[in-house]
Amino acid sequence: IYKSLFLLRLFSSFSGESALPSNLRLPPNLIGVPREKRAFPASTDLPVLRRCEADIPAHLAPVQTWLQSLESRHSEPLGVVDLHPDVFSVPVRLDILHAVEVWQRNFKRISYAKVKSRAEVSGGGRKPWKQKGSGRARHGSIRSPIWRGGGVAHGPRGPTSYYYMLPMKVRVQGLKIALTSKLAQDYLHIVDSLEIPTPDPHYLQDLAKHRQWGDSVLIVDVGEEFPQNILQATESLKTINIIPAIGLNVHSMLKHESLVLTLEAVKFLEKKLLWHDTRFTPLYPFKLPYSDLP
Amino acid sequence: MASFGTLLKSGVSLLRCVRQFSTGTCSLVRMHAIPKLKQVDRWTEKRSMFGVYDNIGILGDFKAHPKDLITGPAWLRGFRGNELQRLTRKKRMVGDRMMTEDRHNLEKRISFLYRRFNRYGKHR
Repeated sequence: IYKSLFLLRLFSSFSGESALPSNLRLPPNLIGVPREKRAFPASTDLPVLRRCEADIPAHLAPVQTWLQSLESRHSEPLGVVDLHPDVFSVPVRLDILHAVEVWQRNFKRISYAKVKSRAEVSGGGRKPWKQKGSGRARHGSIRSPIWRGGGVAHGPRGPTSYYYMLPMKVRVQGLKIALTSKLAQDYLHIVDSLEIPTPDPHYLQDLAKHRQWGDSVLIVDVGEEFPQNILQATESLKTINIIPAIGLNVHSMLKHESLVLTLEAVKFLEKKLLWHDTRFTPLYPFKLPYSDLP
Repeated sequence: MASFGTLLKSGVSLLRCVRQFSTGTCSLVRMHAIPKLKQVDRWTEKRSMFGVYDNIGILGDFKAHPKDLITGPAWLRGFRGNELQRLTRKKRMVGDRMMTEDRHNLEKRISFLYRRFNRYGKHR
Protein backbone atom coordinates (compact mmCIF):
# COMPACT_ATOMS: atom_id res chain seq x y z
CA ILE A 1 0.00 0.00 0.00
CA TYR A 2 1.40 3.37 -0.91
CA LYS A 3 1.77 5.02 2.47
CA SER A 4 2.01 8.54 1.27
CA LEU A 5 -0.88 9.83 3.32
CA PHE A 6 1.45 10.05 6.27
CA LEU A 7 3.12 13.11 4.77
CA LEU A 8 -0.09 14.57 3.41
CA ARG A 9 -0.27 16.99 6.32
CA LEU A 10 3.22 18.33 5.73
CA PHE A 11 2.79 19.14 2.10
CA SER A 12 -0.78 20.15 1.77
CA SER A 13 -0.94 22.87 4.36
CA PHE A 14 -0.95 25.60 1.78
CA SER A 15 -2.02 23.73 -1.33
CA GLY A 16 -5.47 22.35 -1.58
CA GLU A 17 -4.70 19.01 -3.21
CA SER A 18 -2.75 16.12 -1.79
CA ALA A 19 0.15 16.64 -4.18
CA LEU A 20 3.43 15.10 -3.15
CA PRO A 21 6.68 16.12 -4.83
CA SER A 22 7.58 13.79 -7.65
CA ASN A 23 11.10 13.18 -6.38
CA LEU A 24 9.93 12.01 -2.97
CA ARG A 25 11.16 8.58 -2.01
CA LEU A 26 9.46 6.86 0.87
CA PRO A 27 10.80 3.72 2.50
CA PRO A 28 8.58 0.73 1.78
CA ASN A 29 8.22 -0.17 5.45
CA LEU A 30 6.98 3.25 6.53
CA ILE A 31 4.25 3.06 9.13
CA GLY A 32 2.22 5.89 10.41
CA VAL A 33 -1.32 6.91 10.79
CA PRO A 34 -2.13 9.78 8.47
CA ARG A 35 -2.58 12.86 10.57
CA GLU A 36 -5.80 14.48 9.48
CA LYS A 37 -5.71 18.15 10.00
CA ARG A 38 -8.93 19.63 11.22
CA ALA A 39 -9.42 22.77 9.21
CA PHE A 40 -8.32 25.84 11.07
CA PRO A 41 -11.23 28.08 11.94
CA ALA A 42 -11.19 30.27 8.88
CA SER A 43 -14.76 31.49 8.96
CA THR A 44 -15.45 34.62 10.95
CA ASP A 45 -18.93 33.71 12.14
CA LEU A 46 -17.76 31.49 15.02
CA PRO A 47 -17.94 33.19 18.42
CA VAL A 48 -14.49 34.00 19.72
CA LEU A 49 -14.19 32.80 23.32
CA ARG A 50 -11.09 34.77 24.19
CA ARG A 51 -9.73 38.02 22.82
CA CYS A 52 -6.18 39.21 23.33
CA GLU A 53 -5.70 41.57 26.26
CA ALA A 54 -2.78 43.43 24.70
CA ASP A 55 -3.28 45.80 21.80
CA ILE A 56 -2.72 44.30 18.41
CA PRO A 57 -1.05 46.48 15.78
CA ALA A 58 -3.47 47.66 13.13
CA HIS A 59 -1.75 45.93 10.25
CA LEU A 60 -1.88 42.49 11.93
CA ALA A 61 -4.79 40.23 12.63
CA PRO A 62 -4.97 37.85 15.56
CA VAL A 63 -4.26 34.17 14.87
CA GLN A 64 -7.16 31.90 15.68
CA THR A 65 -7.15 28.34 16.90
CA TRP A 66 -9.48 25.83 18.51
CA LEU A 67 -10.11 25.68 22.22
CA GLN A 68 -10.25 22.06 23.38
CA SER A 69 -11.12 20.32 26.59
CA LEU A 70 -9.57 17.37 28.36
CA GLU A 71 -12.84 16.21 29.92
CA SER A 72 -13.51 13.23 27.71
CA ARG A 73 -11.84 11.54 24.81
CA HIS A 74 -14.46 12.43 22.28
CA SER A 75 -15.28 15.95 23.38
CA GLU A 76 -15.58 18.42 20.54
CA PRO A 77 -13.63 21.68 20.56
CA LEU A 78 -15.43 24.30 22.61
CA GLY A 79 -14.78 27.19 20.31
CA VAL A 80 -12.27 29.55 18.85
CA VAL A 81 -9.69 31.69 20.67
CA ASP A 82 -7.60 34.61 19.51
CA LEU A 83 -3.84 34.59 19.88
CA HIS A 84 -1.60 37.63 19.62
CA PRO A 85 0.22 37.69 16.27
CA ASP A 86 3.40 39.20 17.74
CA VAL A 87 3.84 36.08 19.86
CA PHE A 88 2.24 33.33 17.83
CA SER A 89 2.97 34.34 14.28
CA VAL A 90 6.38 35.94 14.17
CA PRO A 91 8.71 35.30 11.22
CA VAL A 92 10.39 31.99 11.92
CA ARG A 93 14.14 32.57 12.26
CA LEU A 94 15.70 29.14 12.45
CA ASP A 95 19.09 30.60 13.25
CA ILE A 96 17.77 32.23 16.41
CA LEU A 97 16.08 28.98 17.38
CA HIS A 98 19.33 27.11 16.87
CA ALA A 99 21.29 29.70 18.83
CA VAL A 100 18.89 29.51 21.78
CA GLU A 101 18.89 25.72 21.77
CA VAL A 102 22.70 25.57 21.70
CA TRP A 103 22.82 28.15 24.49
CA GLN A 104 20.51 26.04 26.62
CA ARG A 105 22.71 23.01 26.09
CA ASN A 106 25.99 24.71 26.82
CA PHE A 107 25.62 27.50 29.35
CA LYS A 108 25.07 25.07 32.19
CA ARG A 109 27.87 22.80 31.09
CA ILE A 110 30.83 22.36 33.36
CA SER A 111 33.31 19.80 32.14
CA TYR A 112 35.27 18.15 34.93
CA ALA A 113 37.97 16.64 32.74
CA LYS A 114 41.41 17.19 34.21
CA VAL A 115 44.73 15.46 33.69
CA LYS A 116 47.92 15.92 35.62
CA SER A 117 50.67 17.95 34.08
CA ARG A 118 54.30 17.07 34.54
CA ALA A 119 54.42 19.19 37.67
CA GLU A 120 51.51 17.39 39.29
CA VAL A 121 52.47 13.77 38.63
CA SER A 122 54.20 12.29 41.65
CA GLY A 123 57.91 11.95 41.39
CA GLY A 124 60.09 13.27 38.63
CA GLY A 125 62.15 15.78 40.56
CA ARG A 126 65.49 14.17 40.06
CA LYS A 127 67.47 13.99 36.83
CA PRO A 128 67.35 10.25 35.91
CA TRP A 129 70.94 9.98 34.65
CA LYS A 130 73.73 12.43 34.11
CA GLN A 131 73.65 14.68 31.11
CA LYS A 132 76.71 13.36 29.32
CA GLY A 133 78.46 10.05 29.20
CA SER A 134 75.72 7.46 29.70
CA GLY A 135 75.00 7.08 26.00
CA ARG A 136 71.25 7.49 26.48
CA ALA A 137 69.14 10.46 25.44
CA ARG A 138 69.27 13.41 27.78
CA HIS A 139 66.34 13.80 30.15
CA GLY A 140 65.53 16.00 33.07
CA SER A 141 62.72 14.14 34.79
CA ILE A 142 60.92 10.85 34.49
CA ARG A 143 57.50 12.54 34.32
CA SER A 144 57.98 14.70 31.26
CA PRO A 145 55.30 14.29 28.57
CA ILE A 146 57.46 12.13 26.31
CA TRP A 147 57.90 9.52 29.00
CA ARG A 148 55.48 6.68 29.67
CA GLY A 149 53.67 7.52 32.88
CA GLY A 150 54.54 11.18 32.51
CA GLY A 151 52.22 14.14 32.64
CA VAL A 152 50.11 15.35 29.73
CA ALA A 153 51.40 18.53 28.09
CA HIS A 154 48.18 20.12 26.74
CA GLY A 155 45.39 18.14 28.29
CA PRO A 156 42.09 19.33 29.72
CA ARG A 157 42.83 21.46 32.75
CA GLY A 158 40.48 21.50 35.63
CA PRO A 159 36.77 22.05 35.71
CA THR A 160 35.99 24.26 32.71
CA SER A 161 32.79 26.17 32.37
CA TYR A 162 31.10 27.00 29.08
CA TYR A 163 28.85 29.70 30.47
CA TYR A 164 27.66 32.57 28.32
CA MET A 165 24.42 34.51 27.99
CA LEU A 166 22.55 35.44 24.89
CA PRO A 167 20.93 38.86 24.87
CA MET A 168 17.56 38.83 26.62
CA LYS A 169 15.66 39.82 23.53
CA VAL A 170 17.21 36.97 21.54
CA ARG A 171 16.02 34.48 24.12
CA VAL A 172 12.57 36.03 24.13
CA GLN A 173 12.46 35.93 20.34
CA GLY A 174 13.50 32.28 20.46
CA LEU A 175 10.50 31.49 22.65
CA LYS A 176 8.17 33.38 20.33
CA ILE A 177 9.55 31.56 17.28
CA ALA A 178 9.16 28.19 18.96
CA LEU A 179 5.54 28.95 19.83
CA THR A 180 4.92 30.15 16.29
CA SER A 181 6.36 26.99 14.78
CA LYS A 182 4.31 24.78 17.06
CA LEU A 183 1.16 26.61 16.06
CA ALA A 184 2.01 26.61 12.38
CA GLN A 185 2.73 22.90 12.36
CA ASP A 186 -0.53 22.11 14.14
CA TYR A 187 1.22 20.90 17.26
CA LEU A 188 -0.13 23.56 19.61
CA HIS A 189 -3.35 22.86 21.51
CA ILE A 190 -5.16 25.30 23.76
CA VAL A 191 -7.17 23.83 26.62
CA ASP A 192 -9.48 25.61 29.02
CA SER A 193 -8.30 23.83 32.15
CA LEU A 194 -6.39 20.72 33.17
CA GLU A 195 -9.27 18.84 34.83
CA ILE A 196 -9.38 15.19 33.84
CA PRO A 197 -11.90 12.64 35.07
CA THR A 198 -9.47 9.93 36.22
CA PRO A 199 -5.89 9.84 37.48
CA ASP A 200 -5.27 7.00 35.09
CA PRO A 201 -2.20 7.50 32.86
CA HIS A 202 -3.80 5.38 30.13
CA TYR A 203 -6.57 7.94 29.77
CA LEU A 204 -4.11 10.65 28.81
CA GLN A 205 -2.21 8.38 26.45
CA ASP A 206 -5.46 7.34 24.82
CA LEU A 207 -6.56 10.94 24.48
CA ALA A 208 -3.28 12.00 22.92
CA LYS A 209 -3.38 9.09 20.50
CA HIS A 210 -6.99 9.63 19.55
CA ARG A 211 -6.53 13.33 18.94
CA GLN A 212 -3.26 12.68 17.09
CA TRP A 213 -1.19 14.91 19.29
CA GLY A 214 2.01 13.00 18.56
CA ASP A 215 4.38 10.81 20.54
CA SER A 216 5.18 13.27 23.29
CA VAL A 217 3.12 16.02 24.88
CA LEU A 218 4.23 18.93 27.03
CA ILE A 219 1.48 20.39 29.20
CA VAL A 220 1.96 23.92 30.51
CA ASP A 221 -0.12 25.72 33.13
CA VAL A 222 0.35 28.81 35.26
CA GLY A 223 0.63 28.65 39.02
CA GLU A 224 2.12 26.24 41.52
CA GLU A 225 -1.03 24.17 42.11
CA PHE A 226 -2.11 21.59 39.60
CA PRO A 227 -5.13 19.26 39.83
CA GLN A 228 -4.15 16.04 41.57
CA ASN A 229 -5.51 13.88 38.75
CA ILE A 230 -3.25 15.21 36.08
CA LEU A 231 -0.26 15.17 38.40
CA GLN A 232 -0.76 11.50 39.15
CA ALA A 233 -1.40 10.67 35.53
CA THR A 234 1.77 12.32 34.24
CA GLU A 235 3.94 11.07 37.09
CA SER A 236 4.34 7.61 35.68
CA LEU A 237 4.33 8.60 32.01
CA LYS A 238 7.67 9.29 30.39
CA THR A 239 6.65 11.11 27.25
CA ILE A 240 3.81 13.21 28.64
CA ASN A 241 5.15 15.84 31.01
CA ILE A 242 3.69 18.81 32.83
CA ILE A 243 5.58 21.96 33.74
CA PRO A 244 4.62 25.35 35.14
CA ALA A 245 4.62 28.25 32.71
CA ILE A 246 7.78 29.70 34.26
CA GLY A 247 9.62 26.59 33.12
CA LEU A 248 8.79 26.94 29.45
CA ASN A 249 11.86 26.81 27.21
CA VAL A 250 12.85 26.11 23.64
CA HIS A 251 14.60 22.79 24.29
CA SER A 252 11.54 21.24 25.94
CA MET A 253 9.31 22.53 23.18
CA LEU A 254 11.53 20.96 20.57
CA LYS A 255 11.90 17.71 22.48
CA HIS A 256 8.19 17.15 22.99
CA GLU A 257 6.21 16.76 19.84
CA SER A 258 3.16 18.72 20.85
CA LEU A 259 2.45 21.50 23.32
CA VAL A 260 -0.72 21.95 25.35
CA LEU A 261 -1.32 25.37 26.89
CA THR A 262 -4.13 26.48 29.15
CA LEU A 263 -5.81 29.82 28.62
CA GLU A 264 -4.10 31.30 31.67
CA ALA A 265 -0.76 30.09 30.37
CA VAL A 266 -1.42 31.80 27.03
CA LYS A 267 -2.33 35.04 28.83
CA PHE A 268 0.79 34.82 31.03
CA LEU A 269 3.10 34.13 28.10
CA GLU A 270 1.64 36.88 25.97
CA LYS A 271 2.04 39.39 28.79
CA LYS A 272 5.62 38.37 29.55
CA LEU A 273 6.82 38.09 25.97
CA LEU A 274 5.16 41.20 24.60
CA TRP A 275 6.62 43.44 27.28
CA HIS A 276 10.07 43.08 25.74
CA ASP A 277 8.89 44.61 22.48
CA THR A 278 8.22 47.99 24.02
CA ARG A 279 10.49 48.23 27.03
CA PHE A 280 13.30 50.64 27.70
CA THR A 281 16.86 49.40 27.86
CA PRO A 282 17.83 48.61 31.44
CA LEU A 283 19.99 51.17 33.19
CA TYR A 284 20.64 48.64 35.94
CA PRO A 285 19.73 44.94 36.11
CA PHE A 286 16.04 44.24 36.19
CA LYS A 287 16.27 42.32 39.43
CA LEU A 288 16.83 45.60 41.27
CA PRO A 289 13.62 47.53 41.92
CA TYR A 290 12.22 49.80 39.25
CA SER A 291 9.48 52.27 40.08
CA ASP A 292 7.21 51.25 37.22
CA LEU A 293 7.90 47.52 37.14
CA PRO A 294 5.78 45.37 39.45
CA MET B 1 49.18 -6.55 -26.81
CA ALA B 2 52.07 -8.94 -27.43
CA SER B 3 53.13 -8.67 -23.82
CA PHE B 4 49.59 -9.52 -22.77
CA GLY B 5 49.78 -12.72 -24.79
CA THR B 6 53.05 -13.74 -23.20
CA LEU B 7 51.56 -13.03 -19.80
CA LEU B 8 48.66 -15.34 -20.55
CA LYS B 9 50.98 -18.12 -21.68
CA SER B 10 52.98 -17.80 -18.51
CA GLY B 11 49.82 -17.65 -16.40
CA VAL B 12 50.54 -20.98 -14.80
CA SER B 13 53.93 -19.85 -13.63
CA LEU B 14 52.39 -16.66 -12.27
CA LEU B 15 50.06 -18.64 -10.02
CA ARG B 16 53.03 -20.23 -8.37
CA CYS B 17 54.24 -16.76 -7.33
CA VAL B 18 51.46 -16.34 -4.73
CA ARG B 19 52.76 -16.28 -1.15
CA GLN B 20 51.55 -18.93 1.22
CA PHE B 21 52.08 -16.68 4.25
CA SER B 22 51.13 -13.11 5.15
CA THR B 23 53.66 -10.40 5.81
CA GLY B 24 51.43 -8.04 7.78
CA THR B 25 50.27 -7.88 11.37
CA CYS B 26 46.74 -8.31 12.57
CA SER B 27 44.60 -5.47 13.83
CA LEU B 28 44.41 -4.96 17.57
CA VAL B 29 40.67 -4.42 17.31
CA ARG B 30 39.13 -7.84 17.15
CA MET B 31 35.49 -8.20 16.36
CA HIS B 32 33.84 -11.52 15.69
CA ALA B 33 30.41 -10.03 15.16
CA ILE B 34 28.78 -6.69 14.54
CA PRO B 35 28.55 -5.09 17.98
CA LYS B 36 25.09 -4.32 19.30
CA LEU B 37 23.95 -0.72 19.29
CA LYS B 38 23.83 0.73 22.76
CA GLN B 39 20.29 1.27 23.97
CA VAL B 40 19.84 4.86 25.03
CA ASP B 41 16.60 5.81 26.77
CA ARG B 42 15.78 9.25 25.40
CA TRP B 43 13.01 9.83 27.94
CA THR B 44 14.63 9.53 31.34
CA GLU B 45 13.66 12.07 34.00
CA LYS B 46 16.85 14.06 33.39
CA ARG B 47 16.51 14.11 29.62
CA SER B 48 12.83 14.95 29.50
CA MET B 49 13.16 17.75 32.06
CA PHE B 50 16.35 19.20 30.61
CA GLY B 51 16.27 22.93 30.17
CA VAL B 52 13.19 23.55 32.30
CA TYR B 53 13.45 26.87 34.19
CA ASP B 54 16.15 28.19 31.86
CA ASN B 55 13.99 31.22 31.17
CA ILE B 56 13.22 31.84 34.81
CA GLY B 57 14.44 35.41 34.45
CA ILE B 58 12.32 36.57 31.57
CA LEU B 59 9.24 34.54 32.58
CA GLY B 60 9.59 34.89 36.31
CA ASP B 61 9.88 38.62 36.98
CA PHE B 62 13.69 38.64 37.12
CA LYS B 63 13.80 37.42 40.68
CA ALA B 64 16.26 34.68 39.67
CA HIS B 65 18.85 34.41 36.93
CA PRO B 66 19.57 31.28 34.89
CA LYS B 67 23.09 31.30 36.26
CA ASP B 68 21.63 30.45 39.67
CA LEU B 69 20.53 27.13 38.21
CA ILE B 70 24.05 25.97 37.46
CA THR B 71 25.33 23.30 39.83
CA GLY B 72 29.03 23.06 40.13
CA PRO B 73 32.11 24.37 41.85
CA ALA B 74 31.46 27.69 43.57
CA TRP B 75 34.14 29.51 41.63
CA LEU B 76 32.66 28.48 38.27
CA ARG B 77 28.96 29.28 38.59
CA GLY B 78 28.09 31.89 36.02
CA PHE B 79 31.73 32.52 35.15
CA ARG B 80 33.77 31.77 32.07
CA GLY B 81 37.45 32.35 31.62
CA ASN B 82 40.70 30.89 30.44
CA GLU B 83 42.79 28.68 32.67
CA LEU B 84 44.68 31.45 34.45
CA GLN B 85 41.50 33.37 35.19
CA ARG B 86 39.82 30.24 36.51
CA LEU B 87 42.74 29.37 38.74
CA THR B 88 43.12 32.85 40.21
CA ARG B 89 39.40 32.96 40.88
CA LYS B 90 39.61 29.57 42.57
CA LYS B 91 42.47 30.79 44.70
CA ARG B 92 40.55 33.90 45.71
CA MET B 93 37.33 32.11 46.54
CA VAL B 94 38.37 28.72 47.83
CA GLY B 95 42.12 28.94 48.35
CA ASP B 96 42.17 29.14 52.11
CA ARG B 97 40.13 25.96 52.38
CA MET B 98 42.34 23.85 50.16
CA MET B 99 44.66 21.07 51.19
CA THR B 100 48.37 21.81 51.16
CA GLU B 101 49.35 19.72 48.14
CA ASP B 102 46.47 20.99 46.02
CA ARG B 103 47.22 24.56 47.04
CA HIS B 104 50.88 24.15 46.19
CA ASN B 105 50.06 22.70 42.78
CA LEU B 106 47.60 25.52 42.18
CA GLU B 107 50.19 28.16 43.00
CA LYS B 108 52.80 26.48 40.82
CA ARG B 109 50.36 26.36 37.92
CA ILE B 110 49.34 29.99 38.36
CA SER B 111 52.92 31.21 38.32
CA PHE B 112 53.73 29.01 35.30
CA LEU B 113 50.72 30.33 33.35
CA TYR B 114 51.43 33.92 34.35
CA ARG B 115 54.96 33.68 33.02
CA ARG B 116 53.83 31.83 29.93
CA PHE B 117 51.12 34.32 28.98
CA ASN B 118 52.93 37.50 29.89
CA ARG B 119 56.53 36.82 28.93
CA TYR B 120 56.79 34.40 26.03
CA GLY B 121 55.30 34.14 22.59
CA LYS B 122 53.69 36.66 20.28
CA HIS B 123 50.83 37.64 22.59
CA ARG B 124 52.25 39.04 25.74
